[in-house]
Amino acid sequence: MATALAWVNAGNWRGRSVWLVAPALILLLTIFIYPVGSLLLRSLSEPAWGLQNFKAIAAQPVYLRALANTVVISGSVTLICLVGGYPLAYSIAQAGRRLRRLLIFAVLIPFWSSILVRTFAWMVLLQQRGLINRIMMGLGLTDAPIVMVHNRIGVLVGMVHILLPFMVLPLYAVMVRIDKTYTQAAASLGASPLRNFWRVYLPLSAPGVINGTVLVFVMGLGYFITPALLGGPGDTMIAQLIEQQVADFGQWGIAGALAVVLMLGVGVTFALLFRTRALVADK
Amino acid sequence: MNDTRKHFAHCLIVDRRQFLAASGGGAALGLIGSPHSARAQGKYAGQKVVFASWGGAYQDAQKQGFCEPFAKETGAIVIQDGPVDYGKLRAMLESGKPSWDVVDVTIEFLYSGAADNLFEKIDTSTVDVKRINPKYVHEDGVGDIVWSYNLGYSRSVYKDGNYPRSWGDLFDLQKFPGRRMLRDRVSPMLEIALLADGVPPDKIYPIAADRAFKKLDTIKKQSIFWTTNSQSQQLLVDGEVGLGVIINGRLYDAVKKGANYLALEWNQHIQSVDYLVVPRNAPNRTTAMGLINQMTTKEAQAKVANLMALAPTNPDAFALVDDAVKPWLATNPDYANKGLLTDENYWTRNLKPLSERWAQWKLS
Repeated sequence: MATALAWVNAGNWRGRSVWLVAPALILLLTIFIYPVGSLLLRSLSEPAWGLQNFKAIAAQPVYLRALANTVVISGSVTLICLVGGYPLAYSIAQAGRRLRRLLIFAVLIPFWSSILVRTFAWMVLLQQRGLINRIMMGLGLTDAPIVMVHNRIGVLVGMVHILLPFMVLPLYAVMVRIDKTYTQAAASLGASPLRNFWRVYLPLSAPGVINGTVLVFVMGLGYFITPALLGGPGDTMIAQLIEQQVADFGQWGIAGALAVVLMLGVGVTFALLFRTRALVADK
Repeated sequence: MNDTRKHFAHCLIVDRRQFLAASGGGAALGLIGSPHSARAQGKYAGQKVVFASWGGAYQDAQKQGFCEPFAKETGAIVIQDGPVDYGKLRAMLESGKPSWDVVDVTIEFLYSGAADNLFEKIDTSTVDVKRINPKYVHEDGVGDIVWSYNLGYSRSVYKDGNYPRSWGDLFDLQKFPGRRMLRDRVSPMLEIALLADGVPPDKIYPIAADRAFKKLDTIKKQSIFWTTNSQSQQLLVDGEVGLGVIINGRLYDAVKKGANYLALEWNQHIQSVDYLVVPRNAPNRTTAMGLINQMTTKEAQAKVANLMALAPTNPDAFALVDDAVKPWLATNPDYANKGLLTDENYWTRNLKPLSERWAQWKLS
């Protein structure tokens, strides 16, 4: 993903064999763009043509609250993934070949089990009589169990666990191609390690930061089962309400309208981030 | 994903013996065909019918209870599909070509689907609906099992006979301190809150929503809201909560798997029903009615009850149910005056606004 974006952004696609993407494009058009497009259209056409569904959303505070929740939760998850994932990706990029392979393997392991199984595992680990609380109480770190699940903490832990690889891998892909001579040159010219990182390494790894951030944030927006299982009553996210509109009420119009609002949010995020990216690249 | 409604999908935990028994040989592919020699005979010889249900042990029980006997007796070929997903079913119906012929749906979907004209009428010349308790028969569907929301509790948390006995106790933080669990759904939670607040069962509908939400406010902070049945089981088994709302079959399942410290209260249980329906313009409508008729027999219903502790809708089936299972069944005559059947005529009109209010209440 990171390399593909870099390639497209560098303007390399012009004059190259565009037809190579044709099969992927046709597949996307038929199985993604067409059905999603028709759902979005229904937000305007059902039950009659007009903006009624958007007005209904605006009139019900619950949808706006859930949308705000979605952005806040997804944003927090992205931030935690970035703070935790950056040093990890850096270590992988700096490691020797064997250690690097081992670390990448470790990052990929969570992909081997389903989201549902991992979410249930966290429920069992984090609950009041769960392993973590029992260990902490056994060590005398706390007297009473700490509530770590069925609240925001649980949602964040569960989502970060699932989404961390999507931050680490794009970061790693960029970092591994950063030429070490740049930082060496900066050091030889007297830059302190901190200054070296801030002025040289970080800007060079910025494309990875942006790719990872966009990927994690956008994936987080659609989360559904993790907040339902690990969250408290205040952690409802928008995907849960969209599902309810379709399955329980058959209200494709409102579901479509909620999807439009979400997509607009994602679109704006993308646009802003690519702008910053362009600025970074210009520097 | 329709995970919230897979109320009997025990599919994650099927023990090996059960699996081998259920899948025995070629049936593993979900295809129950009659042997070639018998194919020429039987009322529906060689005809296909696609049965969609919720997967796991539940669908296995239905397969053994009425799909296999139906195939054997009539020569029809029953194909198992699922899990049921209402979004998917609605999309199929919109395309005009549903790929399911018989679908197991919950009562609220039966009513909302009937209002949207999604189902074929039940053909009573083929389906002997007189076998079924009239409470569980609808123009568009026939009830195949009854299940219920009960008050479940842990005897390792509440001890020495100091057990909760009513929904009132669920809301009593003095007598039963600690965390409790509620179903994350407006129905049955409003009914439960009103019963707890002393509203008599025959005065529950129309729902006094303000009163119900006010009652729910009193335990909101101490409550965990569950969305999947595995979750409700997990919470009670691990002692994360001491009591709460749970589906009878799930507590039975937990006890059977060793959590013998869990118990179920039948006082004020809230009954619900699963129905078999035929989607509008289903390709094999005639055979579908035949399959539904097979489900109405006492033998079929007793088999499902014995396998899964799901209550029969055919009262005659009770004579064939194991004594060990009878106490777990919502339609047990002993519990007849203890339960409340949800009023789906009311909910069809009010589910949407009250669901929005429920979501809003949770967020506030």
